[in-house]
Amino acid sequence: MNMLIVDRIILLVYRNIVAAIDRIFLIWQIAFPVVYIFVAGYAYSAMIGDQGISLGSITVTYTSFLTAGMIGFNVMNGSTVAGAIIWNDKRNGMFQQLLVMPFSRPQYIISNLITIILIGLASAAAIMIIGLPTMYEDIEITLWSIPYTVYALVIGSIFFGSFTIILSTRIKSSEGYNVISNGLFLFFAFVSTAFYPAQGLPWPLSVAFYVNPLTYIVDISRAGIFSQIDMVTNIQVLVITLLAAVVFMIATKSMVRMKV
Amino acid sequence: MLDKITFNVKNGTVFGFLGPNGAGKTTTLKILTTTLNPSSGSVYIFGKDLFKNQLEIKRRIGVVTQNPSYEANLTTERALDLYGMLWGLRDKKTRKRKVNEVLRTFDLESIRNSKNDELSIGQRRRVQVAREFMHEMDLLFLDEPTVGLDPSARRQLLDYIKAHVKSGLTVFFTTHIMEEAEYLCNEIAIIDKGRIIAFDTPTGLKQKYGGGAKTIELTFKDTLDEYFVNLLKATINKKNGDKNSVSDKSKSNIDVNGKHTITITVNNVEEIISEVLQVVSRHDLQIESIAIIPPSLEEVFLSIVNDENKPVNK
Repeated sequence: MNMLIVDRIILLVYRNIVAAIDRIFLIWQIAFPVVYIFVAGYAYSAMIGDQGISLGSITVTYTSFLTAGMIGFNVMNGSTVAGAIIWNDKRNGMFQQLLVMPFSRPQYIISNLITIILIGLASAAAIMIIGLPTMYEDIEITLWSIPYTVYALVIGSIFFGSFTIILSTRIKSSEGYNVISNGLFLFFAFVSTAFYPAQGLPWPLSVAFYVNPLTYIVDISRAGIFSQIDMVTNIQVLVITLLAAVVFMIATKSMVRMKV
Repeated sequence: MLDKITFNVKNGTVFGFLGPNGAGKTTTLKILTTTLNPSSGSVYIFGKDLFKNQLEIKRRIGVVTQNPSYEANLTTERALDLYGMLWGLRDKKTRKRKVNEVLRTFDLESIRNSKNDELSIGQRRRVQVAREFMHEMDLLFLDEPTVGLDPSARRQLLDYIKAHVKSGLTVFFTTHIMEEAEYLCNEIAIIDKGRIIAFDTPTGLKQKYGGGAKTIELTFKDTLDEYFVNLLKATINKKNGDKNSVSDKSKSNIDVNGKHTITITVNNVEEIISEVLQVVSRHDLQIESIAIIPPSLEEVFLSIVNDENKPVNK
């Protein structure tokens, strides 16, 4: 009965995975990017032609570029799990029930983040495997570069997981939560480098791209997959780490203050 | 808001915490179960400061909240199993045995494979209460646990709790149903406007606050006529009118129920009953049955709460 803190967090993660996550959501989590890779990827490739996309010192096909982008993008997509877990737990009374059990609020929030990281990494791996045929000619993973991709996925999960936690604790109605989160995530998704490169954009749009944290996550993850790590990648790592730390602290504060 | 409440709960007993809506019951419960921090004061559970030993105390308590709590996507069996696991029941075989025991005890076998989302409110409540018995505990908080349960499930639950209390469990019980409190509780505290206004055993409360009032229920073979009822009222009022100068507690309440039954609530039953029987005899009516009913806990509760809410004349 006398469990360690780590044990309790593991139990909560297990509980999140078996009880709080909707299976249809998990299928969608994989299906959505796959549809993008194979439909948009090949359709846009046909439009762009053979010129490819310039990435650091190399040029990759648009489908390779998009598949690598989808891996980063999926971290954001998966982070909505955190909001869903909190909403469902609040609506179904499980948040209060867990807090009267031998679990604390910090353990609850950490377990949610670990759940998102696991989902993010698992879905990224699944997309990597499914999308491999589209980018096998360009991919160049090394022991030096892959930690960048993994780090981008983990820090991206923390950033977007914390972000959805803040939204779900601050917004009172589920309709409001859906409208605001969908609106913001639409901005994050399409005003980023997930679908297209930032080079050659009009400067206001370029600024908007680099205000968007998803751009950093996608860029770092892509740089790892194609071994294109440079000074800019390291600066991006620093920026997204700081942003994730700030958002995580705000999320923790929001959760601690959340009324039962 | 709570106003300096103090109470002790004896080990191995059921402590009833009663009060009208908004009296402070749930606030008290939230403090005792660590989901709300009080602005001041102290709470000791198992002789330990709750705020310094939260985790240790939480490991030994069970809580059935007033609001439903359930895992929507899981079947009853899976939900119980998961709950057992969250409480540290690591061994799969032990969990399975415990799940089967709880399913059987709470008559949940027919819904073992139904998802929580598909259950009725009453069934969901039963699962919620049953779930708490997946783990060992020394103190159980039950916040209106029988809401939504049918009478047989309600009695089954109360009896199950009683059996556990006999083996040493302590229960903190809030309810609006006075029969339940009377059936289950060893001691009762009544809270209103954040203050505890009465505290005793159910019998003690009745003696202290029932004012000695009892109800005489007379059922006649003959149909009652208005003249007889008025005569009876006049006789009782005359008798108690004399008493009013001594004590205003000698109030009487006479009700006619249907064509054959009359109920008289007084606090001087012995005196009144002889007067009543004389009137009946003079009127040549035949009595089918006569019963003297002590005040119910509900009447006592209403009297305590209503007295508390009466404006004070200065």
